[in-house]
Amino acid sequence: MRTLSLLAGLMAVTVLGLPTAAADDTVDLQALIDATPPGGTIVLDQGHYRGGVLIDQPLTITGVGWPTVDGGGDGTVIEVTSPDVTIEGLVITGSGITLDREDSGLSVTGARAVIRNNRFEDVLFGAFLRSAPDSVISDNVFGSKDVFIANRGDGIRLWESERSVIENNVVRGGRDTVFWFTDEITVRGNEVSDGRYGLHFMYSDGAVVEENVLSNNSVGAFIMYSRDVVIRNNVLAENHGPSGYGIGLKDMDRVELVGNRVIGNRVGIYFDNTPYAHDEYGYTSGNLIAYNRTGVLLQPSVKRNVFHENAFIDNGEQVGLTGTGSFQGNAWSLDGVGNYWSDFAGYDANGDGIGDVAYKVDDLYNTLTDSHPDLEFFQNTPAARAMSLSADLFPILRPDPLVEDPHPMVARPQFGSLGRGGGAGARIAMLAVSALMIGTAAALMLAPRRARTHPANRKAHA
Amino acid sequence: MTSLQLEAISERAQPSLIAAIAKKEIAEAFRSKWFWMWTLAFAGLAVFMATVALPGSQVAEFGSFGRTAASLVALAQIIVPLMGLTLGASSIAGQRESGALRFLLSHPVSRSEAFLGTYVGLAAALAATVFGGFGLAGLITVVQGGGADAGSFVRIAVLSWLLAVSMLGFGMLVSTFARTASAALGIAVFVWLLFTFVGDLGVMGSALATRVPTWGLLATAVVNPVEAFRLASLTAFSGSLDVLGPAGRYAVDTFGDQLGWMLFATVALWAVIPVVLAWFRFTRGGDV
Repeated sequence: MRTLSLLAGLMAVTVLGLPTAAADDTVDLQALIDATPPGGTIVLDQGHYRGGVLIDQPLTITGVGWPTVDGGGDGTVIEVTSPDVTIEGLVITGSGITLDREDSGLSVTGARAVIRNNRFEDVLFGAFLRSAPDSVISDNVFGSKDVFIANRGDGIRLWESERSVIENNVVRGGRDTVFWFTDEITVRGNEVSDGRYGLHFMYSDGAVVEENVLSNNSVGAFIMYSRDVVIRNNVLAENHGPSGYGIGLKDMDRVELVGNRVIGNRVGIYFDNTPYAHDEYGYTSGNLIAYNRTGVLLQPSVKRNVFHENAFIDNGEQVGLTGTGSFQGNAWSLDGVGNYWSDFAGYDANGDGIGDVAYKVDDLYNTLTDSHPDLEFFQNTPAARAMSLSADLFPILRPDPLVEDPHPMVARPQFGSLGRGGGAGARIAMLAVSALMIGTAAALMLAPRRARTHPANRKAHA
Repeated sequence: MTSLQLEAISERAQPSLIAAIAKKEIAEAFRSKWFWMWTLAFAGLAVFMATVALPGSQVAEFGSFGRTAASLVALAQIIVPLMGLTLGASSIAGQRESGALRFLLSHPVSRSEAFLGTYVGLAAALAATVFGGFGLAGLITVVQGGGADAGSFVRIAVLSWLLAVSMLGFGMLVSTFARTASAALGIAVFVWLLFTFVGDLGVMGSALATRVPTWGLLATAVVNPVEAFRLASLTAFSGSLDVLGPAGRYAVDTFGDQLGWMLFATVALWAVIPVVLAWFRFTRGGDV
């Protein structure tokens, strides 16, 4: 390892208790970088260092005790133009706020960068990699500027940085985590929340996206114009923006969508012109799609999708269309196995785990909301339920079935625990308020009895 | 005692008298089969929902409280108005029919005192039902190992009670018009249909036929106390209305963080308006 052998370039700087104002910094980080031979290592001790530095040679910067590199609110904090640079253990803060200059915490234009275990705070863009193939971004925490979401930068942004690995990062706030023209990347085990697009792919083929948790974003993952993407075992929950998709797919081919938990989004999975090529088929299987307003939403023109062995559980509308039309040309079972539908009311007499009658979606209210989205306003009202019920009672009102799954699964597919229970504190608070409510009820019920026995009250009557 | 002297006494309502009448009302409520029917129905269904909501949450581990809460809100939306309306409708009309009201007003009790005592007593009885039901549901959620946001849970319980009180007011308003308790009950059930079904269906129909503007949907909803309750509850447990499609999104974009308290205030306002009207009507004469 070149960087380790050249540890002679060790410039261990021990400067404890530095003043926090940038102007008073006594250590010039830039001078330190310039004085280090190529491939050397700088160990930064705890302290406050002025940012706006340029790294133009292979180098490793290792922070010990979370030293802060502060850009002072102007421009990019650390700019890397050389390949083989490793940055780890730093707090990177205080970039500028200019979107069109792309002010970043860390901007990299060299290959094989390693960005590991850093904290990005108060930066516009977090890590911005351009033409930096084979890089690694792992175990970092990305915060953002506290500004309106469209004025924020992207936590992680890659541009033409093929074969990079983005792993185990936490991204909060920010705008998107976005990949442009970046083939064959791996995005694994990241947690992205409170942003606009949790993950966003543009023209990036061959990606593997697995075990990420994308929650409370405007959209969980929006994957566009890419091919051969594997989206596996991710959690996409509570994404509620104006589009609010757990997963959105636009003009995509050969997507493998397997084992994801898509929970509580406005729309679970949205298909826009996917598959794109006229001879491609899309397969979606083994996903848990639960408690979304709409489980799976398709544009009426979308064809050649096969859905099998997914669990559709209590979505306000299990499947829907953007507008009027039908699901013709899409299949809801494969080789005699369909999907699990929580509202399937059929039976399985021969006990083979497959329902003996087809599952149909022919709900009047939801058919209306597809063509008149304004009516979604009335979901869960007794009136909306009455409308659906009336269609069941009077077949003349029943719309044509949108979906027919000829082989619905009877048993719910099992999904392991994520280990995300409610905290003990929340449960104690809940217990307290419940007890208080029951106590109130009991006290009120006993109040008149006390009135009859209490002498003071008797006087009041007199 | 002539009605003239009665008016003179009614100038100053005595709190102790109101309390005494309220306690009598509570005692009577707890003796009535109607009340227990509602209480058992509400508490039973609330407990049932808390019990069945949890197995689902173990699958997802997200939004588990949302499911319990959404079920409770849907339940409250149907049962709570019916409860409040029938209790209110049978109150004054029933007392008038049995002669209890004449008897009560023959004492040095003003109409205001009699009215307010009845109202406070019934509102307290409804509080016992609503909080009892919610409390049991919450308890079962915790016992089963589910977590929940205590703050939103309390807000929804309070909103349900405010809805009950609002419907109690409407019921009493009906009661001041009706000659008999059965007529009052009939009208009350019609009012319930209007608030829970007919109103929404009407708005949906007009939206389909005439392209009601998005803000119009929101406005028509707020005109209906049951709808106002639904929106306020939804804001309480999901933090926003954007799950409700374009109209919900419009509300969020227009009012932002103010939405929560605005909807809460709307429900609170609806809890006051009908009872003030009923009081006005009852104290301004008419046969007892």
